[in-house]
Amino acid sequence: MPLKQSEAIVLRTYPLREADLLVTFFTRQEGKVKGVARSAKKSRRRFGGALEPLTCVRVYWEDRERQELARIDSCDVLQSPLSSEVDYPRAIALGHIAEMLDEVMPDREASDTVFRLAWSVLQNLKAGQVWLPVTYFDLWMVRLLGFLPSLEGCVVCGRSLGEELAWFHALSDGLTCHDHRRIASSEMAVSSRKIAAAMFRAPLDKFIGDPWPRAVAADLRKFLMQILDRHLDKRLVTSAQLDKLE
Amino acid sequence: MSKFAEPMARLIDELKKLPGVGSKSAQRLAFHILRSPEEDAGSLADAIRDVKARLRLCSVCNNITDVDPCVYCSNPERNQRTICVVEEPTNISAIEKSRNFNGVYHILHGALSPIHGIGPEQLRISNLLVRVENGAADEVILATNPTVEGEATAAYVARILKPSGVKVTRIATGLPVGGDIEYADEVTIQKALEGRHEL
Ligand SMILES: [Zn+2]
Ligand SMILES: [Zn+2]
Repeated sequence: MPLKQSEAIVLRTYPLREADLLVTFFTRQEGKVKGVARSAKKSRRRFGGALEPLTCVRVYWEDRERQELARIDSCDVLQSPLSSEVDYPRAIALGHIAEMLDEVMPDREASDTVFRLAWSVLQNLKAGQVWLPVTYFDLWMVRLLGFLPSLEGCVVCGRSLGEELAWFHALSDGLTCHDHRRIASSEMAVSSRKIAAAMFRAPLDKFIGDPWPRAVAADLRKFLMQILDRHLDKRLVTSAQLDKLE
Repeated sequence: MSKFAEPMARLIDELKKLPGVGSKSAQRLAFHILRSPEEDAGSLADAIRDVKARLRLCSVCNNITDVDPCVYCSNPERNQRTICVVEEPTNISAIEKSRNFNGVYHILHGALSPIHGIGPEQLRISNLLVRVENGAADEVILATNPTVEGEATAAYVARILKPSGVKVTRIATGLPVGGDIEYADEVTIQKALEGRHEL
């Protein structure tokens, strides 16, 4: 069969047999593709650093008849996560993007929108400024997956939340007004809902340069993660790690 | 019902738990052991038992050792004030082969790996901090792998050592000796350029 090619993001690698690597790519053309990179574990010559998770690459592969795993032919690095400073928060944020894409995207189903989102987030995810790209990524992913409720009105009475505090709960969908909040609900600030609205109107690089300490939109991120937890029926490993970061 | 006698099936099951050993290999190894002389099989069993009974971690550097402190930490010929931090005990032999390093080690037993849920609590960092805070070091060399996980680990360790004022260095990355620039990937060349020095 002829070689296929696509821009792709390396999501994960697993050792396979003595010398090979099993690699999961998120490709622009075909969505998630799993393949075997022969000798990639033993010899760095063929693939170099191209299979490091979260590397943006152009991957060439061959699908094999009646086989689930493709044969990875070669990989050109377009952008490596190692070409800018790596600190622990950035490593967690990178891991978060990989884990999310690996968990929520189906095999062999292309999504150009998700691909462009992930690609632009990776270009903008730098040491010392992880919270903005992580928030942008989580917000858009939850929306593109179709899980995001309206952020404008109370889910119980339908009243517009306007300039009021909103409330949310780990076990139920949507935001509520003060009167309809459940016991042990969390608050969402008006400013965080405004950030979400702004993020739906502009690409990520429009926000770069704004100071974004951890506290900015932390309530929005918590809301988004609770939505994901409910839909995936589990907690992402990296969500817990993001929570623990100071 | 297993097609093997119970003791044989049990041995095959145990061997299958070893990394890289599938059913076929496990059967081959089991039959080899069955056919080998009594004393060979006995010394294999003893060696396995011994490794668990006699090996432990060095209380100073976390190296795997049968004496505590380990051969590096107790050797007066080695510079005890230069500590090289590595991810795994197996990394030591690679550095020792170079015969260029005469300091001592600290083994973390892993690297920070967010996607595998491995955070700072899962690594053996605390006794490094104790060593450095007790003034036992002039320099800490961070020799974790040049991967995202290794870099994140190095950055993390550097940050927690910073208040102690100890000199912290990171090993260089770049082109492999005897290699050809033409075959190096973009990131390696970038790192090699960043690490250039004046002649
Ligand atoms: Zn209401
Ligand atoms: Zn030791």
